[in-house]
Amino acid sequence: MFRMLKDSMEYLPIILPLLTLQLVLMITALIHLFKHPNVRRGNKVVWVIVVVFVNIFGPILYFLIGRGED
Amino acid sequence: MKPFIAFTKKEMLEYSRSYKIFIFLILFAILGMLSPLSAVFMDDILENFMPKGVKIEITDPTNLDSWMQFFKNGTQTGLMIMVILFSGMMAKEYEKSTLINMVTKGLSRKTVVLSKFTAALILWTVSYWLCFLITLAYTKYYFPDGKTANLGLAVFSLYVFGIMLIAVLLLGAVTFKNVYGPLLLTGGFTLILFLVNIFPKAAEWNPLQLANSNMRVVQGILKLSDLKYSLLTAAIVVAVSLVSSLKIFDRKGL
Amino acid sequence: MDILTISGLSKQFGQQQVLKDLSFHVPEGSIYGFIGKNGSGKTTTMKIVLGLLKGDSGSIEVCGEKVKYGHSKTNRYIGYLPDVPEFYNYMTSREYLKLCGEITGIPTGKINGKSDELLSLVGLSNINKRIGAYSRGMKQRLGIAQALLNEPKLLICDEPTSALDPLGRKEILDILQQVKEQTTVIFSTHVLSDVEAICDRIGILDNGTIKLAGDLKEIKLRHHQNCLVICLESKEKVNAFVNSERIRSLRDSADVQGTTIKLKTERPDETMSMVMNVLVSLSIIPSKIEIAKPQLQDIFMEVVE
Repeated sequence: MFRMLKDSMEYLPIILPLLTLQLVLMITALIHLFKHPNVRRGNKVVWVIVVVFVNIFGPILYFLIGRGED
Repeated sequence: MKPFIAFTKKEMLEYSRSYKIFIFLILFAILGMLSPLSAVFMDDILENFMPKGVKIEITDPTNLDSWMQFFKNGTQTGLMIMVILFSGMMAKEYEKSTLINMVTKGLSRKTVVLSKFTAALILWTVSYWLCFLITLAYTKYYFPDGKTANLGLAVFSLYVFGIMLIAVLLLGAVTFKNVYGPLLLTGGFTLILFLVNIFPKAAEWNPLQLANSNMRVVQGILKLSDLKYSLLTAAIVVAVSLVSSLKIFDRKGL
Repeated sequence: MDILTISGLSKQFGQQQVLKDLSFHVPEGSIYGFIGKNGSGKTTTMKIVLGLLKGDSGSIEVCGEKVKYGHSKTNRYIGYLPDVPEFYNYMTSREYLKLCGEITGIPTGKINGKSDELLSLVGLSNINKRIGAYSRGMKQRLGIAQALLNEPKLLICDEPTSALDPLGRKEILDILQQVKEQTTVIFSTHVLSDVEAICDRIGILDNGTIKLAGDLKEIKLRHHQNCLVICLESKEKVNAFVNSERIRSLRDSADVQGTTIKLKTERPDETMSMVMNVLVSLSIIPSKIEIAKPQLQDIFMEVVE
C-alpha cells in the first residue's frame, strides 16, 4: 500500500499533465457540441456519450466526423 | 512568393478552424507523455499482475524502454493518425470546386500543390518535435543517468519517414480526388516497403529502415553510414512524388 | 472597342459537338445577355474564355489579348462568378476577399479598402459570420464582390440568378445594374425576364452556335412585328369582329384564342385606328385592347426553333 502511494507520487508529474490534456480535449469538444445547433452525423446525445466515455479518441472522432458546420 | 504565402496561410487557417492543429498538438503531446510513462510503469504493472509465487526476472526500466515506446507509438499511432488527418487535403477542394476561383484569379497550380505540402509539413514538424521534446524531458527526469548513442539521428530518421509519407499522400490526394485514394496509395506504398525488406540486400536502401531500426540507432548498433542510403531513397521518393503531383495536378480538371 | 471577341470557336466532348464555329463579340460598357437553353454550351464557352477548358479550334481575345489554355494571363482582366459559387466555409467574407486579393497581387494596403467598398456594394458589410452559414443569395453576392476585387474590365457571370428566389434575384440584378458603370458585364441565363430587365445587348446560343446577336432594342424592332391584342366578352362578338370585311381583308389572318384576338401588323397605329372603327361600327366594347410590345420570349422561340 505504502509502495503504491509512493509510486503514484512519483508518477504525478506525468499523470497530471496527461489527465489535463485529455480533459482539455474533452471539454473543448463538449463546448463545441453545446454551442452548435447540429452535428454532421448521428445525434448530439450519442456524441456527448462518445466524447465523455471514449478516452482521447472520442473527442478526436467528434472533431473529425461529427462536428457541425459553423 | 506572395500568393504562395497567402495560400499557405489559408491552409493553416483551414487546419486551425477544422480543429486539426488542436488535435495534432494535443495528440502528439499525449503520445510524448505516454512513452516515458509506460516505460516507468512497465515493471509495476508486471509485478502487480503476476500470480503470487511466480518469480520472474524483471530488469529495472531504463531510458531505452522509454525511447522504445516513443518509436513504437511514433511509428504506429503517430504516423497513422497523421496520414488519416491529412488524407482529405485535396478531396474537399475537388468536391466543392473551391480551387476554380483561386486558379481563375491567377493562382498557379504549382503554388496550390506546394502550399498544401508546406502546410502539412509545418504541422507534422511542429507536432513531431513537440512530441519528441516532451518524451526527452520526461526521460531525462525519470532516468537521469540514461545514455543513448545516436538519439538525434534516430529521431530525425522517423521525421524524414513522416515527410516521405506526406509526399506520397499528397500524390494520392492530387490524383484520386477523394479521401480513400490517398490512404490506399500510402498504405500500398508502406506495404511495398515491407515486401522489399524481405530481400536483405535491399534493406540498406529501403526507407523502411528509417521507421523500424530507430532503436538499433539509439543503442549504437547502426550509424549514419548505415542509414544514408535509406535517407537518400526517402529524399528521392519525396522529390518524385512532388514532381509527379505538380505534373498530374496541371492536367486535372478542377 | 470590343472587350471580348470570340471567333470560330469549336469544342467537342467525346462524340458530342458542344460548340460549332461560335462567334460573337462584346463591346465595352455593355451588359451582355448570353442566352440559351440548359445544355446549349453557355458554361463551356465561359470556361474556355477563362482558360479552364481548351477549345478545339478558333480564337478568343480578351481586351485584345489572345486567351491561352492553362496560362491564362488574360484572366487579370476578368472577374468570374461561377453558377454555384463555393468558397471556403470556414472563412468570413472579409478573409476570403483578402485571400483573393493577395493571390491576385493587389497591394496589401489596398485590399482592405477595396473589400469594404465591395462588401457594402453587395450588402454584406455588417455580416461577420462565416461563409458556411450564408444563404445562396448571400454567397452569390459575395461571388460578385470577389469577382470585382481586381477591378476587372470584364465581369463574367454564369447563371447568376438561376438558383435564387425572386428577392435574391432582384438583388443580384440591381447590383449588376450598378456595376455597369465600372465594367462590362456578360451573363449567361435562360431567364429571359432577367435579360430584359438589365441587358442592352444579347446573343442567343443554340446548338453550339450563335443564332442571333446584337443590340437588344434593335433586335426587338427588327425581328418581330408588333401585335395588337383585343379581348372581347363573348364568342359571338369575336366571330362578328373577325368576320367583318375589313378585318378579313388584312394581310395576316387574325389569331383567335378563346375570346382573345391577336393581329400582327407592321403599322400598329394605323391598324389600331382601323380596329377601333370596326369595333365602333359593330357596337362592340372591348374589355381590353392594346398594342403589345414584341417580347424577347417570342424572338427566342422563333430563333431557337
